[in-house]
Amino acid sequence: MTPVHFSFSSAFILGLMGLAFHRTHLLSALLCLEGMMLSLFIALALWALQFESTGFSTAPMLLLAFSACEASTGLALLVATARTHGTDRLQNLNLLQC
Amino acid sequence: MNPYVLMILLSSLGLGTTLTFASSHWLLAWMGLEINTLAITPLMAQHHHPRAVEATTKYFLTQATAAAMILFASTTNAWMTGEWSITDLSDPLANTMFMTALALKIGLAPMHFWMPEVLQGLDLLTGLILSTWQKLAPFALIIQTAQNIDPLLLTLLGVTSTLVGGWGGLNQTQLRKILAYSSIAHMGWMIIVIQYAPQLTLLALGTYIIMTSAAFLTLKMSLTTKVSTLATTWSKSPILTATTALVLLSLGGLPPLTGFMPKWLILQELTKQDLPIIATTMALAALISLYFYLRLCYAMTLTISPNTTNSTTPWRTQTTQASMPLALFTMATLGLLPMTPAILTLTT
Amino acid sequence: MTYFMFLLLMALVVGLVAVASNPTPYFAALGLVVAAGVGCGVLVGHGGSFLSLVLFLIYLGGMLVVFAYSAALAAEPYPEAWGSRSVLGYVLVYLLGVGLVAGFFWGGWYEGSWVVVDGLKEFSVLRGDVSGVAVMYSSGGGMLVICAWVLLLTLLVVLELTRGLSRGALRAV
Repeated sequence: MTPVHFSFSSAFILGLMGLAFHRTHLLSALLCLEGMMLSLFIALALWALQFESTGFSTAPMLLLAFSACEASTGLALLVATARTHGTDRLQNLNLLQC
Repeated sequence: MNPYVLMILLSSLGLGTTLTFASSHWLLAWMGLEINTLAITPLMAQHHHPRAVEATTKYFLTQATAAAMILFASTTNAWMTGEWSITDLSDPLANTMFMTALALKIGLAPMHFWMPEVLQGLDLLTGLILSTWQKLAPFALIIQTAQNIDPLLLTLLGVTSTLVGGWGGLNQTQLRKILAYSSIAHMGWMIIVIQYAPQLTLLALGTYIIMTSAAFLTLKMSLTTKVSTLATTWSKSPILTATTALVLLSLGGLPPLTGFMPKWLILQELTKQDLPIIATTMALAALISLYFYLRLCYAMTLTISPNTTNSTTPWRTQTTQASMPLALFTMATLGLLPMTPAILTLTT
Repeated sequence: MTYFMFLLLMALVVGLVAVASNPTPYFAALGLVVAAGVGCGVLVGHGGSFLSLVLFLIYLGGMLVVFAYSAALAAEPYPEAWGSRSVLGYVLVYLLGVGLVAGFFWGGWYEGSWVVVDGLKEFSVLRGDVSGVAVMYSSGGGMLVICAWVLLLTLLVVLELTRGLSRGALRAV
């Protein structure tokens, strides 16, 4: 495990822990998801650069396009949730529990 | 919803699953999973009431997290071994992480908590898509990688899923939640045998899709989502009520029906692999599931509504829904058991 | 260069700690901006100046602006920065955890693993990562088509999700 590998892995896992353990706002959860995507982008780009397989540097760009799609869907859901529940706090998403 | 938009969404659902099926590179597999998640989101929220939006939000968060974890596991594997192809997931850390992410994606037991809530917020047809079509792409991935995954992890996931799937459904009165727990239990049966006989996993997945399609289409036909309204279906369509009881028993896995086939073969395979304790646990867990299926049958066919009927029974009008898929799936659910030798020959 | 990369990598992890420790969304967005900027620096240091530019323009310039804008949806009367008690606790716990794991791996990091691999710096006219664009427009054209389809799909998804029962998108927000 090289320092670079360690850094983006711990960045991803920090984002995952943030997403999993404590979220007050839906927007914070989406930001954590974006942080995970950022660390994946850096991981894919550095893989292509370190292993010198430069054709693979297409992959981070595709990943970025997909994560943009994911982010916009998440923000659309934020708007929809704010409209139906009045707030974006995740504790208010409790209609389906029983 | 605009039919053109609906066409684009449905064809994207097809594209996502096909992309994951056809890919040998992890990035494409991840892209397929993402397309599936994105395309079903507006279908889930199409009625825009608070429960549907909430279910969509929960589904989106879990699926996006699981997909990101899958890509992270494969990236770790690529950094360790330099391999991106799906069948070469050989790093043990990456393997475990991948299986955990996939368990989150299909709703296996310790990661199953989103499944009943999400299914409860959907209408029945989207629920049908969610519990059948959306399972195909993850299973394509898991079948390709299962040989590298720690057997202990798979066994643990399988046994926990069947137990939780039985246990969680016991106290439910909402039919969609019961079907979600039944889905969790069936996923457990599929996972437990995947390392010994992957073709049995495919067989169990196929029969599960047939049976759960029949169940969802029946509920859609009789417009029921609760046990209490299920108890009055007899006055609307008596024949459908009779077959519904049999469909539920088939989901529970009783012998003369289709649902018995995967359970029988999986138990036989586990016994052959010298795992009698796991086989016994699975059989007993199936018994817990059978309890709530039986409870539904009891409420539906053996009781009449406790209300005093202050009117005569409702008119049995001709339904305007298409009943052909329901008939086909119900027939397949009730009568495929005699085909077992043929299906086995085809799959092995 | 090695010390500089060390600082950048550390700043990347600290940026994610700042996002993950559950502050109010504006501050989390700020942490993500820091992490993305530092990520650009890491990529430049490894010789991927084009990918770094893509990250800067698209991620930082496009997506994070939208996130910072929608932080207005989550406005709170008493915003919590990293100084407030619960957030500070999480920051400390996460930093301690990362430090412990880094200490576990510390022995395995020989001097060579710190050196930035940049074999494409010397003898090539183009930077290596530009060839990724060439691949995307030649043999990887199918991926480009899929990407375009997904962007169209996302447009429709967002429209359908925010449409609501014949109300404008901003009415209830």
